[in-house]
Order: sequence, then C-alpha cells, then structure tokens
Amino acid sequence: MPGFDFSNHTRNAALHARGVPLPKATSTGTTIVGCIFEGGVVIAADTRATSGPIVADKNCEKLHYIAPQIWCAGAGTAADTEFTTSLISSQLELHSLSTGRKPRVVTCMTMLKQHLFRYQGHIGAYLVVAGVDPTGVGLFTVHAHGSTDKLPYVTMGSGSLAAMSVFETQWKAKMTEEEAVTLASNAIQAGIFNDLGSGSNVDVAIITKDKTTLKRGFVKPNQRSKKQKSYVFKRGTTAVLNEKIITREDISKYVTVHELEGEAAAGEKMDIDA
Amino acid sequence: MDTLVAQYTQPKFEKENYSEDDQMELYQPTPSLSLKFAMPPVAQPSAWLRAATDDHANPNCPIKIAHGTTTLGFRFQGGIIIATDSRATAGNWIASQTVKKVIEINNCLLGTMAGGAADCQYWLAYLGMQCRLHELRHKRRISVAAASKILANLVYSYKGMGLSMGTMCAGVTPSEGPALYYIDSDGTRLAGNLFCVGSGQTFAYGVLDAEYRYDLSDEEALELGRRSILAATHRDAYSGGFINLYHVKEDGWVKHGFSDTNPIFWKTKLEKGEFSNVTSELV
Amino acid sequence: MAAMFSQNPLMNGPNYSFNQAPVTAAGNKEHAFNPYTDNGGSTLAISGSDFAILAGDTRSTSGYNINTRYSPKVFKIGGTTSTQDDATLVLSVVGFAADGEALKERLDAIVKMYRYQHGKPMSVKACAQRLSTILYGKRFFPYYVHAILGGLDEEGRGAIYSYDPVGSYEREQCRAAGAAASLIMPFLDNQVNFKNQYIPGSGVGHELQEREKIPLPRNEVEDLVKDAFDSAVERHIEVGDGLQMLIITKDGIEEKYLPLKKD
Repeated sequence: MPGFDFSNHTRNAALHARGVPLPKATSTGTTIVGCIFEGGVVIAADTRATSGPIVADKNCEKLHYIAPQIWCAGAGTAADTEFTTSLISSQLELHSLSTGRKPRVVTCMTMLKQHLFRYQGHIGAYLVVAGVDPTGVGLFTVHAHGSTDKLPYVTMGSGSLAAMSVFETQWKAKMTEEEAVTLASNAIQAGIFNDLGSGSNVDVAIITKDKTTLKRGFVKPNQRSKKQKSYVFKRGTTAVLNEKIITREDISKYVTVHELEGEAAAGEKMDIDA
Repeated sequence: MDTLVAQYTQPKFEKENYSEDDQMELYQPTPSLSLKFAMPPVAQPSAWLRAATDDHANPNCPIKIAHGTTTLGFRFQGGIIIATDSRATAGNWIASQTVKKVIEINNCLLGTMAGGAADCQYWLAYLGMQCRLHELRHKRRISVAAASKILANLVYSYKGMGLSMGTMCAGVTPSEGPALYYIDSDGTRLAGNLFCVGSGQTFAYGVLDAEYRYDLSDEEALELGRRSILAATHRDAYSGGFINLYHVKEDGWVKHGFSDTNPIFWKTKLEKGEFSNVTSELV
Repeated sequence: MAAMFSQNPLMNGPNYSFNQAPVTAAGNKEHAFNPYTDNGGSTLAISGSDFAILAGDTRSTSGYNINTRYSPKVFKIGGTTSTQDDATLVLSVVGFAADGEALKERLDAIVKMYRYQHGKPMSVKACAQRLSTILYGKRFFPYYVHAILGGLDEEGRGAIYSYDPVGSYEREQCRAAGAAASLIMPFLDNQVNFKNQYIPGSGVGHELQEREKIPLPRNEVEDLVKDAFDSAVERHIEVGDGLQMLIITKDGIEEKYLPLKKD
C-alpha cells in the first residue's frame, strides 16, 4: 500500500503513555522568508538544523526544488519538509507532462495544502512557496494544518518575528532584484542573530521569468575562528587490545570489489573544520 | 487553606528589611548546621519538591540530584571493612568519577554515602558535630549505637519530606567493640555484620556473601571488600570510578587507598583468571 | 489559588529545554507553582599549580530568545570595595539566573562580613564549606544553579570546588557546568586529566603506559578554555556572544573578555 505505514502507531502510543519518551526528530527551528520584486521573487533561508538545544547540522539546505521555476523554503520537521516537497515536485512534473503546460505556483500550493490538510498537522511542514509561471509571479506560505497565505513578503519558522520586523520597517513596493535580495538576506540575518533556532549562513534563491539562481552560502557571517591548539594525537595514543586486518582479498570472497580512479574515487567531500 | 492564606497574605512591605535570621547569618562566623530550611510557598512542599527534583517520578525534572552508588561494610575479627565506589550520576549523566563516599565523621567513626550526595554530606557533618558535642559534654567518646541513633532520629523527623540517604555508620569503641549500623531516610536503623547499600548492592552482595567469614584475615578482608565493589562497578552502570577502602580498628580507621577500577579489573582478570566472560576476541 | 503567584509570561511561550510545569510520565500537570526558568549558558573552571581559571559565556536565554548578550556568570566574591578589586575568590553560577544572582549576593555579603570581623580574607576551603551550607539551607526549595567556586588554597595552589544544586561539593581539577557541560566535560577529561591517552610505543597490550598527569601551564589552560567555548558555541544554541574569564593568581584576579559567535 502506498503512503504512510501506521502499523507501529498503536504500540508507540501505548509505550508513550507508559512514560517512554518519543524519539527526537531533527527540526529546522528556522528562519525562512520570501519577497517579490519587479519581475520575480526571492526566497531565503538560514542553514541551521537543531535537535533540541543541539545543532545537528551547521550548513543544511532548506531551499527545495519543486520545478525549474518554482522553489520552496521549508521550516518545521526536517524530514517532513524534505519528503513533502519532493513528493509534490514529482506529482507536479507528472501533472505538467500530462497537461503539456508549465507548472503553476498556485497548483503547487494547492497540492501542498490538500496533502497537508489530509494529515491534520501531523506532517510538520511549514513552507514558503515561490515561483514564476505563465500567470506571473507567485509567493505563498503553507502551514502544516493546511492554511495558506498570499502576500508580497512572508516569513516563517521560529525566527519569523525577527525577520518580519525587518520587512515591516524596510519593505517597499516595486523593488529591484538587488534590493529585494538584500532585504531578504537582512531579514534572514535578523533571524540568525536573534533567534536561537536559526544560525550559520544565508541561502538565497532568485526566480525570474527567464532563470532561477540558487546562491548557496550567499552570506557567511558566522565563520568559525581558528583553534588555539592542535588536537592531533600521535598514532598509538589510544590503547588497543586486539586488532584484525581485513584485506581486499578477504572481502572479495563475499562482494565484488571495483577499483575506482580519478574523481569518482574521492567521493563527495564532507564539510569538516580545519 | 486558612492557614495558607494567612501565611501569604501579609502587609506588602512587612519584610522590606532583613529579618533577624538574615542578619544573624552575617554575624555568625560559622553558622551552626541548623535545622531551619527555606520552604517553597505551596500547600504540599514535598510533592512540589518531588516533581522538581526526583528523576524517578519525573525523568524531565529540572533539577537533577546526584544519585547511584555501591557501598559496603562488614564486620570481621580484625574490625570493620568499609568500601565504596566513587561515581555520582544525575540521570544518565556521570556527574563525577571522583566522589569521596566515605565520610570521616571523626578519627574512629566512618559514615558512607548512598542516595542524595548533599543529604549525606550535610547530615553526616551534622552528626560529626553532635558526636563532638557529646564528647565535650560527657568526657567520653560516643558509642556507635548512640551516634547512629542521632542520625536515625534526625532523618525520621524529616520523613516524607524527600530526603534520600542510605548510610552506614562504622566504628570501634571500647564498650561495643566493632559496631556497624545501617540507617536510611525511611528511618530504618539496623545493627548487623554485613551490609551493601546502593544501586549496585545486589552485585556486591553476590561476591561478599559467597566469600565472607568472620575469621577473615586483615589482608583477605580488604581484598574481599575491593573485589565486591569491583563486581558491582562491572555490572552496575551507576557505579564506577575508584575503589575507596577503609579498615576500622580499635585505635581508629586506616585508609587503604583510592584506586582506579580499570587497572584493578585487568589485574583481576589476567592474574586470577576471573571475569572470563570478558574477552577481546574479534569474531 | 494559582493566580496568587505571579506567572512569568515568558514561560507560556515556546520552550524546548524542559517543560516549565513539572509533568508526570502520564503527562498531566501537577502544579501551578513554577519558580524556575533555564537561562542556558555554560561555565567552566580549571585549576593549575599556582592559578585557577573560571570562565563563562555571557549569553542569557529563555526558550529561543536571547534576553541579553552580556550578563556575567562569573563573579568576584568578598572584595572590600564596589569594584571588588581586592577579592580573592570567584564564584560562577549557571542555571536560573535569578537564583544565581541571589546566591552570589548572599555569599558575597557573608564573605565581606567575615573579612570585616576577622581582618583577613576568607580561605577558599572555608568559603567552600559555607557555600555548601547555604545551598543546603534551601534543600526543600533549591537554588536552581550549578555553582563553581575558585581561589587559591593555603599552599597557593589553584583550587576549584564544584556543587550540585543542593550543596553536595567536591574539590576538583576541572569542571564544566550548565547547558554545554556534556559537550565540554569529556573534552576536559581528555585534555586536562589526559583520560584515554597512552604513551605511544611504551608497551604492548596491557603494558602500554598511561600518559603522565602534569598540571598545565596558564597559557595552555587559557587556550583550552577558548577552544572549549568556541566548540560549544558551534554545537549548542544557548551558548555564545561573549566569553568572560577570571584568572586568579597570587597577584590578584585578572579579567579577560573575548567575543564569541553571536548566532
């Protein structure tokens, strides 16, 4: 059966009633904003993901692809924003293939709200949907329970008040692209510095009639300073009771081993502190 | 209800200045360990305290008080052996690995600490004071029976208020010989030959009961105390750190080290062949 | 009845640290009396052979909000002037800021009176015992704080005493307390007490020798404190803004302030 598997629901509810704590989902206690300008729309987000008071990811991506000209900023439960947007993205692509038309922002927003309303807020996705389609520029917010708004500038997440204060003091009608991007970036930075759930960098996506530009790390106001000391341990510092070496020959008895060369051998690089 | 209302509806600025007690606190060079405690302004202070501090009843309580322990004491022909671990835990957090759980009440009386660390530290210090006063008043040392009774009566008077302590009093006096008492915050007071107290007590009893004899030599007795605590630190996650060993004799107590469990464990395993369930074999 | 006790409006807002109202496992609210707020932040203390360092970040939070970016958690205790220039003791408090402030004020007054009556500053050992009885005095209505007291002992060595909220205390080499204690303390165990560090090549298997414990020099300890806080700021949302360090030596107490990340 497609969709969610509820087979553990009754058991987990019973366990919780007996005092077993629920597992903590990674939530993006977040600042996300969107703002329209003359000829397009910009959305922006911070890059901090938290689990309770602990920073789970210092540089996560909260701007999600829906369609080439429609993007979505997500707040709330990380997994829910991720999967809801990709689900709607797929459905929207199929829809546009079958109609033979470009996808519209309102369509996307309607599909999201209908999906979320069906689950009565249990899918914790709070979204800012933005894009440009043949009918013009669109900017919406969608709440987890299924309500939506259509506004020229919007904010969501735990840092929404801090970000909104920037919009409410500095927003004006018919801004240029550059003005709108700066304003959205400033709004995110207000969230980064004044809301504990938000932090690290500013990501920006600018959508116009002709193209979409995703600027990952548009502003990086929180670079880590250099460590005072070196914490490299000499080899042999950790006590070892026993060791066993598994050679390539050993492992190839069970699986096929392929040698990789060049860039493929390096794999995807991971962010690590110096 | 009326008493409560009377207690908290007082003229607004009645207590604007410092109370006599507040001022006394500043003048007294060393305040007596008093029996006066600040109370939360609610009808059921003990229920409120339990909700705020007791992590058994409420795992999300804001104040975590240090708990978890293994302590033991036993009488034998050469006096009394007292041994403890040194771990303090607050919920799942190991707050310290270096706690001194044997409290030296005076040079021939020892107390052990299990349960709330602050409760034990404070009330055994208070007991030390009372014992010294007894000496000054009566010109002779207090008996272990009397000392333990002071403590038992004291905690009994606070029964239901939320004190948490399981303690042993050990001492050798001319009148009693070696004497060992168990006192806990329920008000229980028992004399006996052998006690283990704390979350690791069952593991310690397992070793101690199997090997215990009254005519143990001093060396054998010290080793048995050490080995019993080791067993408890090995199986009880809330016990660990260092083994604190004391021997109480007629002319006072002697300390036999505060030693790390890890090397003792490996020494016991490799030289005596015990703990054979622990291996470093890679399967 | 509930209305008799003033309710902090902040307590009804979003709060992840712990539910302000003590709740049973079943989830029903038990009391209307909630006198505590967690103001976040972290403190750290390390003692050396002739000095002691107490440090704390200067952020004060409630829920997801920052109350202020500069509220000290480390205080000089028992000086004779308002600037506390001639103080010899340092107290750090983390947890509920109002209780921390009350505790500091009370201890300061007592240590000042002791100095006035005895004509000499209180020793750390005496002050440590006194602080314990103060905390235990509120055993049934605790100060919601983790306190650390620092100074120099009779031999001039650095002394650090750490406390639980109801007054159980112990002298230690180093201690981290507060929100990021679980992040900082393991780092300190490894870098100050050299836990889990062995001398490479000093033996095979069980013959391997543990790294010898030597007290660290002052500059190295200062570097450790800075690195510990920089790392805590990276991973804990309640820690940040500024780092305040008080360094106690025989020549007095030196204060250092360094900026931390503000996000």
